Amino acid sequence: MKEKRIQTDVLCVGAGIAGLMAGIRAAEKGAKVVLAEKGHALHSGRGRGGNDHFWCYIPEVHGHDLDFFMRESLKTPKLKTMQSGTASHVLRTFLAKSFDIVKLWDKWGIPMKYQGRWEFAGHSFPGDVLTHLKYEGRDQKKVLIQRTRELGAEIVNRVMVFDLLRDKERIIGAVGIDTREDSLVLFESKAVILGTGCLDRLYPPPTPAWMASIPGNLTLTGDGRAMAYRAGADIVSPEMPKRHVGPRYFSRFGQATWVGVLRDPHDNPIGPYVTSPNRVYGDMTPEVKGVYLEEFLKTGKGPVYMDCRGISKEDYDYMMHWMWHEGNAPLLDYMKEEDIDIRRHPIEFQTYHIIPEGKIWINEKGETSLPGLYSAGDESMGGISCAATYGWIAGENAADFARDVLLPGDDRGKAEIGTKKELIQKIMSRREGPDWKEVNVALQQLMQDYAGVVRSETLLTAGLDYLRRMRRKVDQSMIARNRWELTRCLETLNLLDLGELVFIGANARKETRALHKRTDYPLTDPVMDGKEIFIRKKNGKPVVEVKKA
Amino acid sequence: MPPVIDREKCTGCGACAEYCAEDVFFGSEKENIPQVTYPEFCAHCSCCVYACPEKAIWLRIPLPMQLLYKNPERTA
Repeated sequence: MKEKRIQTDVLCVGAGIAGLMAGIRAAEKGAKVVLAEKGHALHSGRGRGGNDHFWCYIPEVHGHDLDFFMRESLKTPKLKTMQSGTASHVLRTFLAKSFDIVKLWDKWGIPMKYQGRWEFAGHSFPGDVLTHLKYEGRDQKKVLIQRTRELGAEIVNRVMVFDLLRDKERIIGAVGIDTREDSLVLFESKAVILGTGCLDRLYPPPTPAWMASIPGNLTLTGDGRAMAYRAGADIVSPEMPKRHVGPRYFSRFGQATWVGVLRDPHDNPIGPYVTSPNRVYGDMTPEVKGVYLEEFLKTGKGPVYMDCRGISKEDYDYMMHWMWHEGNAPLLDYMKEEDIDIRRHPIEFQTYHIIPEGKIWINEKGETSLPGLYSAGDESMGGISCAATYGWIAGENAADFARDVLLPGDDRGKAEIGTKKELIQKIMSRREGPDWKEVNVALQQLMQDYAGVVRSETLLTAGLDYLRRMRRKVDQSMIARNRWELTRCLETLNLLDLGELVFIGANARKETRALHKRTDYPLTDPVMDGKEIFIRKKNGKPVVEVKKA
Repeated sequence: MPPVIDREKCTGCGACAEYCAEDVFFGSEKENIPQVTYPEFCAHCSCCVYACPEKAIWLRIPLPMQLLYKNPERTA
């Protein structure tokens, strides 16, 4: 196996929205910046196809009470779940900075205004404060990549970083593999920023064992969360589940971009918010209760349809414009091919699979609990506006941190690198055993059946035991036939670590809260309001603490 | 299974293989018609479709992912 060495001040892991914004800001502050991306920067991460909603606080629109705006925004259960594990002062810092980022994006060429004005629509209740700015994000990644390159930051595509290197308490770099060629990539850096996104592959997708039937990205496997945990950083609330809603079975995000009403088979609206298509509000019912649609199906009251019939021509054009920017081009192309017209055909919607909302804990500077390690984006704060804003903040602070420290010497982390090499060689040299997919499917099965929609101490204890037993077997037997499979194997090992954290966190949260439903603790415990489950690895073992984020 | 490449139109420029985040074209070589090595790992993001300068790629959406809808004309 060849070895490549890359030295830099700041290493950004992942070139999604958070990574790119972190790289841009760190480079502006004078740091030497490298971004490592396991796919290709132009089409990686949740923002790859575009986006059309940016949660932000604009004083000239919302008035001067930021705290009021924040309280209003967090009324929505879905947004609240997305932000579980994030401290309220960190959220406040995000909102205070968000308008600056809006103006920057607009200046760089991502159109943030619609017909010359700040246009707010979607993700809001009728008559309430409008929280999400509409923007034309179809080319957002192209624009951010261009800006990154103009500032001299280097983007290295097709390199998967899979572990951090530590010297005593400080993070001094990371280890990666080239996903196409036989080489190990060693990063020596003064600071590392994790921007590795969501955890989309831990639970069974809508079509069991068909990985591709998820609305998110197949390569988002919580890599940052897993490596931060292994390095000893604090992980917050890994047990909290989130369920998105969207078209069945063509799973896609962007529910709030639809201008229609969710109706039952008798054309009755399933929620109380809208009775006809409304371009400003959409239908908020699934943001209040995502599993409502699943309950309709399971009790025989379904199916539930997104009904856009009766939409005006202007509102139809408006919706289609934003669907394109939201990243729904494949869905629009498919509907055209199949002659499906939303003006005539109500589209069935469904509740998608569980996506765990766990976070890498960060403070208001984007720092994790380990010196030199920063995190931004979905790994620490859900949503694209949070990724953009906290990417920027983390990039700025990582550059400041890097200015005051020296690069670690060559021999630091040598033992750790040796262990990583050995792991790869073993996976590549075995001839018989389970491949990544077999392991991934078996893991999804355990997650769903023992830490799924129904949880209890007996199920969680048994499930964790089964998972650990399987893990021991996997560590001795998993195989990869080429670099592509090796990449998937390393992702799957991350998933196994994160699955374990879900079990531990779910067992520690002895209450029912949002979609974390414990049959043995059916009540929501008011004592837990504002508190989170923290898990940290100490002396090779997980340590749990319940405290405020 | 997606993506489907029109072998007549493809010039082997490699744009599709360069951009795919899931790397479903793994092992493809430039100048040659790309091979769809891992079709079941295609996330149907269409980046290859839009990256192709020859419009030589289309996505065949697999049946388990079909969109379901009510046909009011038929039920009326």
